[in-house]
Amino acid sequence: MTTEITAEISPPAADADAVLADLTGMLLTLLEEYGLDAAEIGRETTFHGDLELESIDLVTLSGALRERYGDRVNFADFIADLELDEIIELTIGQLVDHVVASLRATERS
Amino acid sequence: MAMIPTGAITTHAQTLPARTRPDEGGEPPVVVFVHGLLTDSLASYYFTLGPAFAAAGIDVVMYDLRGHGRSERPRGGYHIEAFVDDLVGLLDGLDERRPVHVVGNSFGGSIAAGLAAWHPERVATVAMIEAEPPVALWTRHMADGLSDAKRQLAREEAIGWIAAHHGAHTARLSRGASRILQTTTLAEDIPASRVIDDDLSGLTCPVLAIFGDESGLAAQVPDFEAKLPRCRTVVLPEQGHSVLVERTDETRELLLGWVREHSLAGAER
Repeated sequence: MTTEITAEISPPAADADAVLADLTGMLLTLLEEYGLDAAEIGRETTFHGDLELESIDLVTLSGALRERYGDRVNFADFIADLELDEIIELTIGQLVDHVVASLRATERS
Repeated sequence: MAMIPTGAITTHAQTLPARTRPDEGGEPPVVVFVHGLLTDSLASYYFTLGPAFAAAGIDVVMYDLRGHGRSERPRGGYHIEAFVDDLVGLLDGLDERRPVHVVGNSFGGSIAAGLAAWHPERVATVAMIEAEPPVALWTRHMADGLSDAKRQLAREEAIGWIAAHHGAHTARLSRGASRILQTTTLAEDIPASRVIDDDLSGLTCPVLAIFGDESGLAAQVPDFEAKLPRCRTVVLPEQGHSVLVERTDETRELLLGWVREHSLAGAER
């Protein structure tokens, strides 16, 4: 009989700075061709106006979020609940807060 | 993100598995969403109908049309039969053997009808939102609209006017549309597409057609009802062409009801 050893893999930290760093990395990959600088991305940065992301870019970002956080963060549901105007005005900080809240909710459960 | 070879091009697709399975152990129904021309991509479904359908126990397939979103943009080959072939290639690439419920918005609805007419064995039902089937009259409508758009959007002052009157967001979409029109033969190819007979006898599966009463397309309702044996038409009051964007909730409920109704009937179609 073998003893199962389960490795303790630390989940992505539910802290805003770590999440912001994660998101910045994803956006740099997504916008690689534009030669964006990490310093240009902060909480107030808007996806649409500042980064000029199109909705199809948000689909790609959604895939990256799923890869990083699994089912605990549902970006499509988050976007689905917003009005078009709110999506256009969406900031990195709002998404960071949503991710942090989602991760904390699953930590508690 | 899945990039799937679909014949001559590579197609970007996103799938959402049904979140619940049928009790009796059968397979869930599958819905394929087809977006519209030029300013559109699978994102129109990804953030709206897609998640709701998966939650309702339906397998969901969304994809970018050739020239759009993350799919390949060849210079030529934009006849409707090429779009239909891409869709068949996608279903093959996904190993999808179930007859699909195909939902198309605007031009996507024309593709859905083309798929049903030319590959009836692949289709359970068709739902067309603000769309025309690919008949001869449709090619003339498309010829007029596309040549006009190609000419107008090439002018920088037209984009400026759009920015001033409809905002930066719409202006950017228009710029993207113009890029497709200027770098491909889409505006010339679509009017030269293969067509189905005017009597719509090619459409044998059940058809749901949703219109806004203020768009010219609702005028097709009597024709649909006279020619299609299994047809349901819905006209939303005080609504123009942007049914999917502006009446998302009603559209979702209509489509969910439609798919449920036609999948309960099982394989007998």
